[in-house]
Amino acid sequence: MVTYIIRRLLYSIPVLFVSSFLIFTFVATTTDPLEAAKMQPNVNKAAIALVQKENHLDKPIIERYGYWVQDAFTHDFGKTILGSRPILPDMLNRLKVTLQLIIAAEVLTLLLAIAVGVYSAVRQYSIFDYSMTTLSFLGLAIPVFWLGLILQIIFVNIFNKWGVRIFYTSGLDNVDPGTGLHFLIQRIQHLVLPVFTLATISIAGYSRFMRASMLEVINADYIRTARAKGLIERRVVLKHAFRNALIPLMTLAAIDFGTLFGGTVITETVYGLPGMGRYFIDALSGGETYVIMAWLMVTSVMVVFFNLVADVVLGFLDPRIRLD
Amino acid sequence: MPEPVLSIRDLAVHFTTDDGVVRAVDGVTYDVYPGETLGIVGESGSGKSVSTMSILGLIPQPPGKVVSGEAMFQGRDLLKLSKKELRRVRGNSMAIVFQDPMTSLNPVLKIGFQLGETIKAHHGSEKDDEVKDHVIQLLRTVGIPQPERRFEQYPHEFSGGMRQRAMIAMAIANQPALLIADEPTTALDVTIQAQILEVLKTAQDETHAATILITHDLGLIAEMADRVIVMYAGKIVELGDVNTIFAAPRHPYTIGLMESLPRLTADEDWLRPIPGQPPSLINRPPGCPFHPRCFLSQGRARCREEEPPLRPIHAGGTGVHLSACHFAEELEGATSKLAEPTVAEGVT
Repeated sequence: MVTYIIRRLLYSIPVLFVSSFLIFTFVATTTDPLEAAKMQPNVNKAAIALVQKENHLDKPIIERYGYWVQDAFTHDFGKTILGSRPILPDMLNRLKVTLQLIIAAEVLTLLLAIAVGVYSAVRQYSIFDYSMTTLSFLGLAIPVFWLGLILQIIFVNIFNKWGVRIFYTSGLDNVDPGTGLHFLIQRIQHLVLPVFTLATISIAGYSRFMRASMLEVINADYIRTARAKGLIERRVVLKHAFRNALIPLMTLAAIDFGTLFGGTVITETVYGLPGMGRYFIDALSGGETYVIMAWLMVTSVMVVFFNLVADVVLGFLDPRIRLD
Repeated sequence: MPEPVLSIRDLAVHFTTDDGVVRAVDGVTYDVYPGETLGIVGESGSGKSVSTMSILGLIPQPPGKVVSGEAMFQGRDLLKLSKKELRRVRGNSMAIVFQDPMTSLNPVLKIGFQLGETIKAHHGSEKDDEVKDHVIQLLRTVGIPQPERRFEQYPHEFSGGMRQRAMIAMAIANQPALLIADEPTTALDVTIQAQILEVLKTAQDETHAATILITHDLGLIAEMADRVIVMYAGKIVELGDVNTIFAAPRHPYTIGLMESLPRLTADEDWLRPIPGQPPSLINRPPGCPFHPRCFLSQGRARCREEEPPLRPIHAGGTGVHLSACHFAEELEGATSKLAEPTVAEGVT
């Protein structure tokens, strides 16, 4: 197991190397960090040329890639063009926020989707099953930004009408976040709505997936064997069917983890959270080429890492997969 | 005659489908006696599996439903038991060996765990190490080498034959009074089939269980069974002891089945299949269900109009011999090629 993980980590080095090159090439050829400056009529052409030369922007892509890799390892992915802030420390602060959001959303998604999916499959065509089917189609159909706004309106109105603050609708912390338990509670109050908004689509989709997976397993020959042995039905479902039905869901969840990063762009913008998603949007509109590159790179690392986590989890779930 | 272990009376099982009601089992009556092996033969869809799975509540419900009948087992009618009581019978006093060992074991659980679970489900008080000893003993009984090592392995580490041995071990774990083997060798290759039959015999000797052997392989019946039931379109068409059925079959369908086997001793260029298709179980032909394919019927009105009852026949064999043919007496002198001395050759 340990050798497997080490080997996978070593494999990921060339993967990340290739992706870094692709990221750099695509971003560098499509955006120009000095575009805004060039548009200004009162900026001196000579000054622009000087900045270009200083930042090696006049060199071929390959050479610029070399400088960028050097920067990435030794100078925190370089500095922002506006304000000359080092990129990596900012990005890591943003990543902390986003990881809180994503991990909470993923846990909520898996718990709810698995529970709903299993129960719907066991009680197929029951009122519960039909209600959940309807709800999940609703969840899949609702646009994320709209859901976010509606939830904000609801909780703002509750506050205005009765003066009760159940959840905060914007930001991550109060001006005075407090400490200890008080801090934890106010942080959760801030995160509940964004997490729910981010998770809705996944809960809806995964519960359908889990239901289908469970239905397939429940009709398998080995489930008939389990019943023929005289096991109680709950054991047949939980011990024999559930674990087999979980295997395809875990694969899906791992692949989707990367897309959750994309989902945070909308959610963080709606809720004004200082996370990776908003960082990306700001960088995109500000023409911060090197921030975009660094963002894509950090996201690639996350995707590679969570794929490894999923493979290890699958190795535990399915003995036919041998990790060595 | 001793008390039967299982006594099925007038069992009818229907499946509701979009096209109509499928009468999969339609008024079946038979007994299974202690220690005997009862063979049930018939082609796919004749109701041979459903007739046994339904009494244990193992058919999918819905669409399946036992509409009438009685199944007396150890003094109780299985069809009237609550779900909980029926669960206590399954895998305990009545156990099943399924057809396909490749898919009948749970791929993510260890063999030892899956066998031990069968014991614990019915003897919850047994301690873990007692259960383990018991399971290893069972694995040894069915001829699995190195049982201590195999105990810790998963199904994918077993070959097909070894898996079926494990399935048999699972079935005899709680000393059942009745063992149901549903096509136990169909999914295995021929050399393994012979070994599995030996294991089944060992299992029977070990537990003294009566056995119902469901198969479409007449060779297997000749090898294993004491008595034979031939089923067609959800009904029993002939019942008798194995020698009588092979030496003096008295139903045209039984004769057709035997004729369709290749003969090892004669030089035959072609097989002789039964003409036509099995009837639709939704729109059953009137009268005898076999008449459209029957060489004896030949357009006789009685075959089309009147459903033949299962009645006693005197063809010279020992024990009860029943046939559901109006003209069974016309088959006087008929015999099967399997009654020839080369019977066993077709088996192994």
